[in-house]
Amino acid sequence: MRKRIYILTVSVLSLFIIALIGCAGAGAVGTLQFHANGEDFVREGFVSKDGWSINFDHVYITLADITAYQTDPPYDSHSGGELKGKVNVGLNEVYTVDLAEGGTDAPPILVGEVQDATTGHYNAISWKMVKASSGPASGYSLVVVGTAEKDGQSIDFSIKVDKEYGYDCGEFVGDERKGMVKVGGTADVEMTFHFDHIFGDAETPMDDELNVGAVGFGPFAGIAEGGKLDVDMAGLQAKLPAKDYQMLVDILPTLGHVGEGHCHCH
Amino acid sequence: MVNTKWKFIIPLVLVLILGISTTAYAHGARINYTVNMTIDIVAKYDNGEPMGGAQLVVYAPDDPSNPWLTGVCDDEGRFSFTPDTSKPGTWTIQARQSGHGDIVHIPIGEDTAVTGSSGGYTVLQIVVMAVCGIWGFVGTALYFSRRRA
Repeated sequence: MRKRIYILTVSVLSLFIIALIGCAGAGAVGTLQFHANGEDFVREGFVSKDGWSINFDHVYITLADITAYQTDPPYDSHSGGELKGKVNVGLNEVYTVDLAEGGTDAPPILVGEVQDATTGHYNAISWKMVKASSGPASGYSLVVVGTAEKDGQSIDFSIKVDKEYGYDCGEFVGDERKGMVKVGGTADVEMTFHFDHIFGDAETPMDDELNVGAVGFGPFAGIAEGGKLDVDMAGLQAKLPAKDYQMLVDILPTLGHVGEGHCHCH
Repeated sequence: MVNTKWKFIIPLVLVLILGISTTAYAHGARINYTVNMTIDIVAKYDNGEPMGGAQLVVYAPDDPSNPWLTGVCDDEGRFSFTPDTSKPGTWTIQARQSGHGDIVHIPIGEDTAVTGSSGGYTVLQIVVMAVCGIWGFVGTALYFSRRRA
């Protein structure tokens, strides 16, 4: 009798423990959000390296194949090697977002989220800039709309880029680490876009690599007509000086970052 | 019966006597040692210029969310620190300045954490402790398996 009671007790306890372990495994997920950020350069505007005060009405960017990874060892974007993760989560759609949406105090743009992301540290991210198939940026991967002013002169511009790029990036570099998903919690990863790379920044030394490689706004102003500029890459290639067009082609791939961290562009 | 008992007791007493520590009549010495590693960071921009004055943040593997150490690079972009080798894993160092930044991950394994000291138990003491422990189990088993008169 005692032996039967003992066996029964052990069996019940074992089943209880197994059930607890099973429940713990199934609940090890949280939410991972994907943000796109044009930073204060887009939200507040800035002064280009050649003195043009630029404000943005819209910055449409179209993103696809957005994927976050848990990599071990951590992915090194400098190496440009294949980005492989132990765990991957991603967004399945193509998204056109306006990085200027919401005004000067707006937070980074929430592109999408995965609500059953496996817990862990998502320390790498990849995405593609692709041509939009519809909407305000249809046919283009990037459309920048705004106003530039200098010395009493004002130019309304719309610059359209149809080139497509892929970015493989390591961990976010910024005020805090990102991508650490805990059970039932929410974490985020960020795709950052540095538009000071295109126009330069008057607050950065002119001999800084940023300004040396930037086109500035002056070349764009030089091809504006009647205070307006509405041009795509084909138009820019036809109208810009060859040197400036080549600088633009060379600098566009450097738009994508993870905070201040660099990405491998392909 | 009496002879059998003494066959157990006499060896046990001898073993206990041999195992008792005696008073040291000379000055003792003890050396503790720890092997530390220093990580030297050199932060540079893509053009090779040093990130002089760059902000450094070090994250330990056991608390990846909160900085373990913060500091500032010197004019040559250099910064050194000694990680806590009792925390093996991937240490993360982040350098930032003027909108530029980079991050590096340094694995520090368990075999790089070496701490030790002289002294401790001698081989004889260890053997005695083992024999005593085994004898305790054997004796207890014999006691409970004895035939009752």
